[in-house]
Amino acid sequence: MKKYFTIICITTLLFCLLVSGETVTREAMAGESISIKDAAGRSVEVSLPIKKLVVLTSDALEIIRALKAEDLVIGVYSDISRNSQFWPKLKDKPKVGNWKGLNYELVAELNPDIVLCYSQRPGRDMERKLEPFGVKVIRLDFFRLGTLEKEVAVLGRILKKEKEAMDIIAWYRKNLELIQKGLKNISDQPDVYIEGDSKYHTAGPGSGGHEMCVLAGGHNIASNLSIPYPEITPEWILMNNPNLIVKTTTKSTCGTSYSMTDAIPLKRIRDRVMARPAWENIRAVKENKVFVMANEIWTGPRAIIGTGYMAKWFYPDAFKEFDPKKLHKEYLEKFQSIKYQGVYVYPNEN
Amino acid sequence: MLSICKISFRYKSKHILKDIEIELNKGEILSIVGPNGTGKTTLLKCIAGIMKPGKGTILINGKNVSRMKRQNIAKSIAYVPQSSPSKFPITVFDAVLMGRRPYITWKPSQKDLELVARSLKSMDLHDIALQDFDQLSGGQKQKVLLARAVAQDTDYLLLDEPTSNLDLKHQMETMGMIFNMVKKNGVAAILAMHDLNLSSRFSDRMVMLKAGKVFCTGEPRQIMTVENIKSVYGVEAEIISINDHPYILPTRPVNEQQGLSSD
Amino acid sequence: MKDICEQYKGVTRKKLSFVIFLAALLFGVALIALSQGASSMGFKDSVTAIFQDSGIAHAIIWKLRLPRIIMAVLVGGGLALAGTVFQAILRNPLASPYTLGIASSAGFGAVTAIIFGGSFYSEYLIAGNAFFFALLSSFFILSIAKLKSYTPETMILAGIAIMFFFSSLSSLFQYMGTVEEVHEIVFWFFGSLSKVGWKEIGVASVMILLPTPIILRWSWDFNLLAAGDESAKALGVNVTRIRMLGMVFASLITAAAISFAGVIGFVGLVAPHIARMVIGGDHWFLFPASALVGAVLVLTADTLGRTLWAPQVIPIGIVTAFIGVPFFFYLLMKKTRQYW
Repeated sequence: MKKYFTIICITTLLFCLLVSGETVTREAMAGESISIKDAAGRSVEVSLPIKKLVVLTSDALEIIRALKAEDLVIGVYSDISRNSQFWPKLKDKPKVGNWKGLNYELVAELNPDIVLCYSQRPGRDMERKLEPFGVKVIRLDFFRLGTLEKEVAVLGRILKKEKEAMDIIAWYRKNLELIQKGLKNISDQPDVYIEGDSKYHTAGPGSGGHEMCVLAGGHNIASNLSIPYPEITPEWILMNNPNLIVKTTTKSTCGTSYSMTDAIPLKRIRDRVMARPAWENIRAVKENKVFVMANEIWTGPRAIIGTGYMAKWFYPDAFKEFDPKKLHKEYLEKFQSIKYQGVYVYPNEN
Repeated sequence: MLSICKISFRYKSKHILKDIEIELNKGEILSIVGPNGTGKTTLLKCIAGIMKPGKGTILINGKNVSRMKRQNIAKSIAYVPQSSPSKFPITVFDAVLMGRRPYITWKPSQKDLELVARSLKSMDLHDIALQDFDQLSGGQKQKVLLARAVAQDTDYLLLDEPTSNLDLKHQMETMGMIFNMVKKNGVAAILAMHDLNLSSRFSDRMVMLKAGKVFCTGEPRQIMTVENIKSVYGVEAEIISINDHPYILPTRPVNEQQGLSSD
Repeated sequence: MKDICEQYKGVTRKKLSFVIFLAALLFGVALIALSQGASSMGFKDSVTAIFQDSGIAHAIIWKLRLPRIIMAVLVGGGLALAGTVFQAILRNPLASPYTLGIASSAGFGAVTAIIFGGSFYSEYLIAGNAFFFALLSSFFILSIAKLKSYTPETMILAGIAIMFFFSSLSSLFQYMGTVEEVHEIVFWFFGSLSKVGWKEIGVASVMILLPTPIILRWSWDFNLLAAGDESAKALGVNVTRIRMLGMVFASLITAAAISFAGVIGFVGLVAPHIARMVIGGDHWFLFPASALVGAVLVLTADTLGRTLWAPQVIPIGIVTAFIGVPFFFYLLMKKTRQYW
């Protein structure tokens, strides 16, 4: 009995300490406090200035580098070492976890101002667990073209990099307009079959891939399906007889595109797609219009580049002058401050 | 003739059986008795080929069992376990048909089916032939297992405590059936028994085991003595004789200090 | 005396007719499956397209629908057969191809192949790796059994340990995976017959069909295992050998089925029980009946899965459980016998 009493006393004491400690830290932060809307539509109070960041997704990390806020990052996702060439400055930062979860102790020790992660993962208990340490969770996706601008603006505000954010947004807008201009006189939309990393899993409405296809002026044959990543039957693809097939690859199937020196892995994927049973009857295969696109430019911050490639594949005549590779080079050199290299699509335009 | 020559069996470093010698002729019923843990069941399993004795040989008509194929042993020796697990549904007919396994390659023949039918009939089981084995009473189950042994059509029967779990009437019935089977068909049976009176009543010979060794062997009259019961079971008893069969009436356990300690 | 024999033969004939009925049912379901799909071909067109080289219809039937149907039959029948074998050798009505951890080790094999980019080197690496790990775990269990004893208890305990070991390894790898990898892993575990072509069928049918006659040949020995190890031994069955080889063959079949079609749970558990409830425990009839039940179940599930919500496919593993569970409950309530 006595033991329990002691335990209760200690717990109560700890609790009081915690609560008071929290109020103290809150009062201590005298700076300006703003309210932002995250990707899940929730309002989050953030006290400025933000000096230390932990980032759990490569998408967010890319935007941070584009905002010239790389120096604020004190903790990164663990997988970063898989793509170390792309992240020369950040690859050795403390690894705190990934998009699904993180090491709370390590984060507490690093004591960042905010943790950046996707809107859905890790789960909501993360906010609760990090709150006692005064760490805010900001959930921003950066993987859908439709919401990208808004999210960049939000992050720009938080990091006080409004000017840089405006630059990126302006760049996106300029290129989107360029694509839309190219699509102005288009009448006949090609039917497109999009396939993600898993065989016979397509990108339906609600997926980033569908969005890109529409922006590039294509007609996604899966556009009237009801789930984002459904499995579909090969026969249905055959019956829809798409004009083009766009297949995306993952990092695991062929390494990171940035460090890739030749197109053999992408070619192999394309050959396999074309050799699938009965697919010789599909128009896209007959006319050799099967394209492979690397994951790096498929959705995410570089979706605009992927969209550019798609537009060029869909309408080669209208986009004769348009060079997505140049776009990519510009993005990497201007916003990411690294040199352009790697293989991202097959067949290559050159 | 079934000869058991100098059988020994060890489990880890413990002797379970030591130098057991038994001979069994056709038409004979032999009971193995002894207290719990003396190795009665182990001995039966060694003879049936379920366990391998560490030393010694078992000969069927002069042929060494350890050099015979399992299937051929099963054509000579049938083993009736104390109980049969039944996790899955099986009809009485199928349960008895299992006894024909040593003779069946792909499918049972007409002869197999007829033999099963005959043995069911002889055990009075023909009315429940297509019932579920698991739903039978303990006595009926024991009968089915016996019928299986009959269907197996062997010269030698090994029965592990055929009367445990049975009420008085079923005990008598079962023993009677075994007795008739042996006498009518000219086969031989070895029974591991707990019940001294039943074994005395139905056996031609008895073997009394003590701590894995044969303590004494002979006709029931020679085995069922006050001295033997006392030193093997540690029980004071009186022996009475009815119709020439000795019966035992245990009175009280032997006081350890005064007992004839042979260990 | 004759009448017992006649009665028994009558029962045997009933069992045989149930097996024939199942075979006919399977054929019927296969015909329906053959005529269902995204293209507008009717039943008649589909059947004529089998024999007539009429361009695209012929290609659809021969390259897409037929392989899918055959694989569904192979996988369903194989898993059900393997389940029956596992239930017999482990003398446990709850045993299934999953009890001994074969599914989870196959799953782990697939997960490693996905995470390490196996599909880049060869399209068959995921299936191959799944197969390899399935066999690895079953040989591990066999060696444990060899060292200790070939009793059902030892094998089940070793199997459960293996299952937890590989499941947690899979979880670890999934935890480390990227969004796309986790997607692919989840899809693999759902199971799918879309990826099946004739080549896969060739490999799978060798591994599933070759052991089948041997298993059938031993149906008597499997019957006797149900009577207990001692009775079986006394009746001339080499219990250790049958348990060991039974496990090897059933693992082979399970591994083949799982690695090509993903984890189609439940068939291996439920099909043997459905068959047993109707025709009883004689493995001579139980093996074919339960294999046919499994084949009908998986084929029906796949056909429903690809037509109900067409063109989206409801993963086969999910549909199988959806139609298997209610049917199983129906039989469970209808039958009076207490199973466990």
